[in-house]
Amino acid sequence: MTNQSNPWLTSNIWVLGLALLPAALLIGALLYFTAWAIAFSFTDLALVGRKSVEWSWVGLQNFERLFTRRGFLESLWTTVVFVFFSAIVGQSVLGFMLAAVLRGTRSQLRTIIEVSIMLGWLLPDIVAAFLWSATTSQTGLINQLIVVPLGFKPINFINEYALPIVTIANVWKGTAWSYLLFSAALDSVSREVVEAAKVDGATPLQRVLLVQLPIIRPHIATNMLFITIWTFTYFPLIYAMTGGGPGTQTQTLALFLYNQSFSRGNLGFGSAISVAMLIIVGVLSLFYLRLLREPK
Amino acid sequence: MLRTRFLTTVAAASLLAASVLPAQAEVSFMYAEWTSALVEPGIKAFEEATGETVNAIKLPGQGYDQRIALDLAAGTAADVNLMDSFMVSELAAAGYLEPLDDLAKTWDQYQYYMPGLLEVSSYQGKLFAFPTDTDVRMLWYHKGNFEKAGIALPWQPKSWADILDAAQKLKDAGVQYPFQIPAGIKQGEATTMQGVYMALLGADVPEGDRNRLLNRETNQWIGDSPALRRTFDLYHQIFVEKQLQPADLNYATDIGVAVRQALRDGNMGIMASGSWEDACIWDCNNPPSREERDALVAWTPWPGSGEPGTKATTNISGGWAMGISSKAADKELAFKLLTTIFDQANFKAWTLTTHRMAVRTDVSESPEYTADPFLAEATKLAADTTGRDTIPGYQTVSALIQQATSDILDGASVDEVITTYHDALVDEFGAENVITYE
Repeated sequence: MTNQSNPWLTSNIWVLGLALLPAALLIGALLYFTAWAIAFSFTDLALVGRKSVEWSWVGLQNFERLFTRRGFLESLWTTVVFVFFSAIVGQSVLGFMLAAVLRGTRSQLRTIIEVSIMLGWLLPDIVAAFLWSATTSQTGLINQLIVVPLGFKPINFINEYALPIVTIANVWKGTAWSYLLFSAALDSVSREVVEAAKVDGATPLQRVLLVQLPIIRPHIATNMLFITIWTFTYFPLIYAMTGGGPGTQTQTLALFLYNQSFSRGNLGFGSAISVAMLIIVGVLSLFYLRLLREPK
Repeated sequence: MLRTRFLTTVAAASLLAASVLPAQAEVSFMYAEWTSALVEPGIKAFEEATGETVNAIKLPGQGYDQRIALDLAAGTAADVNLMDSFMVSELAAAGYLEPLDDLAKTWDQYQYYMPGLLEVSSYQGKLFAFPTDTDVRMLWYHKGNFEKAGIALPWQPKSWADILDAAQKLKDAGVQYPFQIPAGIKQGEATTMQGVYMALLGADVPEGDRNRLLNRETNQWIGDSPALRRTFDLYHQIFVEKQLQPADLNYATDIGVAVRQALRDGNMGIMASGSWEDACIWDCNNPPSREERDALVAWTPWPGSGEPGTKATTNISGGWAMGISSKAADKELAFKLLTTIFDQANFKAWTLTTHRMAVRTDVSESPEYTADPFLAEATKLAADTTGRDTIPGYQTVSALIQQATSDILDGASVDEVITTYHDALVDEFGAENVITYE
């Protein structure tokens, strides 16, 4: 035996190779499908009918249609509203406030609150959708417990206020994630810094906003990036709760994409929507990644 | 040493991979849950007779149409598939389905199929699927709520005004859902068939197909017509002006369940649906006794609008069908599975138990079938029926119609909706394939 091969190293190369294989396959598959989606977006390919056989290249027509046909801009606006209120205002701000407030509380109370916000996160989307639909319908729990006993006529919440209800449901479902992340981040802020601020006479609110918040800024940006993209392309809860209705009130881009591609079979136009979404998400990501950089 | 370790890893990985791949030499079959009572005994009989295994894929009804089109287009579909018959022409035009004429000739029960109903699942004169049933459409109503609202039974509306009038009385009597007519995208094909088309057919005179979505002479889609405007206006009156129906049922998490539950619980007055409800209000595969059903609901044909020259009652028929994927490995075996499912004893039992409307004379002329009061009445409706405009493109048009009703529910005016619909048709099919009726 010479030094020509170290069995441990070679075997580890295999291990490394095997470990990287799934990642390589996944990235390969992603690139492959993305390339196809981009290619389809320049065609009038359809799922069924004549255009599924005799499709043709149509240049930028699909992208023009994004702006000339009804639906895209409307859905984009719905998505922006949904993302802003459910991801940024709801999950992030609420998650941070809960984390900041609960850090100082006794552990038992904290456990109870943590468990209750975790419940939303742990429930499958479809179950959550059923719960929210049932609770907010005309004969639902909210009407039976609050509205009717107060002497008002039952309100059909899920119909009258579809977008707010879906947004609230999503906040309820997703806040736990942000809460856990911010909790862990706040725990990592050194006690000395906080104590020093206390000695300098900072109020609890100032300590949170002026001392802890800047320190955990990277965590916040990372989380924002993650949940914004997640919410931007999010589908199941809204689909199950309203299917995009009433009318198109809750039709986010993901639902618009689904309806165009699979209900109407316009795969070419659907691909153009997905490419547009890709671009928007890319721009958002760049914006957040800039935020991540420490200001000099 | 190293080599053996590597090989073991590879072997283990391949085993893992193999365990998730389907076994070879089997027939796969995809169907919607509501056909279980027909499909499952058929599969069992097929497995016993041939010794083959069937890989059965059972799916819920909601979203089934999207799934089947996608699977066939992607080439990942099962060998044999259940599908809504309106899709047959589009799927056949795309080359996803196997023509069945030659195989059908080898089957002794093929002769019993009614030619008119085979047409529904044919394309350009070739047969691509076997129909499971046909249907008629009507207005179901809750007897108890009608009594509560002071409407005389049996209810026999003669025009749309009569329907709106009854719905208003039901609303005044405190019925939560006075008139459930399918609307919106999430209802899918139900919106087009059970709602829009049933109204449209009675909205104008039949001459020149003025009461349809398509002029069948010229194969041009109708982008704007008095019939379309009247139909959308009916929706506008129901959901917006007169508020005779909260829209939420059309967006319920599981629409079918929610609608039928509301009717069974006595929270609904009128439900625009079809003959399958005779079983499906309770359980499509296992309905309760005749007495229990008759105690709760009754039905009446959809009246025409009441405009001069329009039809007194309207009806449109659809139905489902089973076809073989053009990619199926063993077409003959797949066909054997089809004929086992549709074998007379099994098919007849299912048709009778679930109150479907027969597509074969050996079933429809049987004493059990002719003695069934519901089927006898429903078959009378079928005497004056029509079918969908099953030319390629129908699915897109149907989706646009669903979108139009969706917009009405959202508060858009009839004018807006018509403009959008017309422009979308031109966009989709070219101006030369779209016409307007004054």
